[in-house]
Amino acid sequence: MTMIARLGKSALAMCLAMMPFTATAQTKIEFFFPVPVEGKLAREMTRLVKLYNESQKEVAVIAVYTGGYDDTKLKAQAAAKAGKPPAVVLMSANFNVDLKLSGDIMSLEPFLAAEQTTRDAYLQDFWPALHANAVVDGELYGVPFHNSTPLLYYNVDHFKEAGLDPAKPPRTWAELVDAGRKLAKGDRHGFLMPAGYDYLGWLMEALSMSNGGRYFNEEYGGEVYYDQPSMLGAARFVEDLIFKHKIMPQGVTEAGGVSTSFFAGKASMVLLSTGSLSFIRENMKQGYGVAFVPRNVRNAVPIGGASLVMFNGQSEDGKKAGWKFIKWLTTAETLGGWSRFTGYFAPRRSAYDKPEMKEFIARNPDAKVALDQLPFAKPWFATYQTVAVRKALEDEIQAMMNGKKKADQAVKDAQKKADELMRPYVEQTALKLP
Amino acid sequence: MSVAGATGALESVQDRLRAKATSMRRRRMRLLPYALLAPSLLFLALFTYLPIVRVLVDSLFDKPHGTGAGEAFVGLGNYARVLADPAFRQAALNNLVYALGVLIPTLVLALAFALAVQRSTRLSAVLRTIFFLPSLVPLVAAASLFFFIFLPGVGLLDHYLAKLGLSGPNWLGNSDVALWSVIGLTVWKNAGYYMLFYIAGLQNVPRDTLEAAMIDGANAWQRLRFVILPALAPTTAFVTVIALIQLLTSVDHVIVLTRGGPSNATNLVLYYIFQAAHENFEYGKAAAATLISVAVLLALSLGSLRVMERGARGNG
Repeated sequence: MTMIARLGKSALAMCLAMMPFTATAQTKIEFFFPVPVEGKLAREMTRLVKLYNESQKEVAVIAVYTGGYDDTKLKAQAAAKAGKPPAVVLMSANFNVDLKLSGDIMSLEPFLAAEQTTRDAYLQDFWPALHANAVVDGELYGVPFHNSTPLLYYNVDHFKEAGLDPAKPPRTWAELVDAGRKLAKGDRHGFLMPAGYDYLGWLMEALSMSNGGRYFNEEYGGEVYYDQPSMLGAARFVEDLIFKHKIMPQGVTEAGGVSTSFFAGKASMVLLSTGSLSFIRENMKQGYGVAFVPRNVRNAVPIGGASLVMFNGQSEDGKKAGWKFIKWLTTAETLGGWSRFTGYFAPRRSAYDKPEMKEFIARNPDAKVALDQLPFAKPWFATYQTVAVRKALEDEIQAMMNGKKKADQAVKDAQKKADELMRPYVEQTALKLP
Repeated sequence: MSVAGATGALESVQDRLRAKATSMRRRRMRLLPYALLAPSLLFLALFTYLPIVRVLVDSLFDKPHGTGAGEAFVGLGNYARVLADPAFRQAALNNLVYALGVLIPTLVLALAFALAVQRSTRLSAVLRTIFFLPSLVPLVAAASLFFFIFLPGVGLLDHYLAKLGLSGPNWLGNSDVALWSVIGLTVWKNAGYYMLFYIAGLQNVPRDTLEAAMIDGANAWQRLRFVILPALAPTTAFVTVIALIQLLTSVDHVIVLTRGGPSNATNLVLYYIFQAAHENFEYGKAAAATLISVAVLLALSLGSLRVMERGARGNG
């Protein structure tokens, strides 16, 4: 940990040292950004910031690369504790509730008021599924920047070999099981999904939503629906895939193992993020196709991704500069360009009306499938103690995947643990009565 | 006379001056060690003692996350909560299994390696390098390598097992196996390093005793058991302490490979502290757990230092 903190500090020092001489009238602000996927994204972000700094004179943005999503949260909070909070941070969107509760990030409502606009008018251009994660307790706290959903990837060659039509990937859970049984052969798995921490919670949310559920109360941070029929069904489904239908291996496979198995032809269908699209496009030797996450009750997937937040403790000038920078980063043009570069969705609908974007979608039909699934997207879980509450479910589902627990017991225990974790908050809010 | 008197007076002044200078020099000499120590003492205080005091203070306070309540003094409340937390107990138990699971094979292997390569021939120089190589790889890099070795079905380990007609378990994804996979990686990484200490220790095994044993007809096992091992006792004690401390204070591979999963099966105390502080906003609890593990480390090193001293005296 200390090593990470130290690296962060030295990166910061280097950035400060490399900062060009700037006029005193300029407002200098710091911008922390993570790169969840790979190094070339960091270069692109640095290029964007340079472009912004050269485009105007009032604000000088110092871009600081801060590792992954978790490291970025850690470093931003550490900097805030040390009295030097970064003005703008690109933060995993489901941390917003916790960061608001811990008093780290500021409401963006005053900026909207100063521009005489309303939250609804401001968010109108953003995909509806993104609104819930941008707003905490009725106020705007984050501006969506890039987003993803889970997606089903399948091996076209395996489909042909098993006598399945690659043009008709499974749309329902029943069809998934059916196809998986035909595809599984020897040491080849019909279906595989990442089950490491973080990814598993997201995919269980996808499955419970496809089963008609909500996973959490998107209006209130003190409730999750782990022991409800929608999650119970999803858990039993995963259990059956392993122990009854035997189309998925026992135990936990991390995301890196899932994509490697898919590339090696050892897994015929996998659930991965749309954020992996470019990675799979570049590395998959055999033919592949993409499809919606199969449904049991309805089509629904959770959103994932990051939004721009502002940390408390800025000067008046710093606040204004931060907001100005956020507005520039979230124009339809910038978001569209970033989306084409990274493979993430652009959160603004208008970004897809631009001719460059239309051309890009026409050239990449798999990106089109991912885009078509967006109207079915729902908010990402974000509660009080988001990580711990998510882990409460993940630990139990992992035990189930290892054959240590049955689905019914697993979701019950997960709910109990989650309720315990959220109790302090619930007692101070929903159960605090006059 | 007057000249002599003047000279005498001068001499006495000089004497006094010299005495003063000597006492000043002596005082300076007394201060010198402290002056020389000052820089490192300062940094030790700033970066070791101060943080310990700070953590001690933090561990007595609690600021419940997200409830709007301020920081409040809770005495030993955080300690009680940590000790009652099943996740902490599991992490502590895992840490114990991990420490012993790594320590014993590491010591055996390190000694075996050292015995194999103690003579300086060209071959043993090559072997030494090969055994020592894993220690040169940073733990994070080693873990990233083993991520691919352990990949279920497609990893290097399963690839070769398949050639032998065997199929391995899900090395990191099976909650019964995962901790042992992490242990295996750590043994691979550490054994070569501790071999160095044993090579040095073997140089101090008295030759005449060995020769006497040989003349008395002791076989190789008896020489190892009754001559070499007792002579190596201080080395073993030292390596044990160093190894145990290292095993409690590094979790890089856990972060890279499993993040404590599946179902907390590979969670270690240090990673538990990280989770409490940086994932769960429970700084008080994290501070208490930190202090508990620092106390264990202190007890461990004090205890074994005493053992080592006794060993050294017995030896001398």
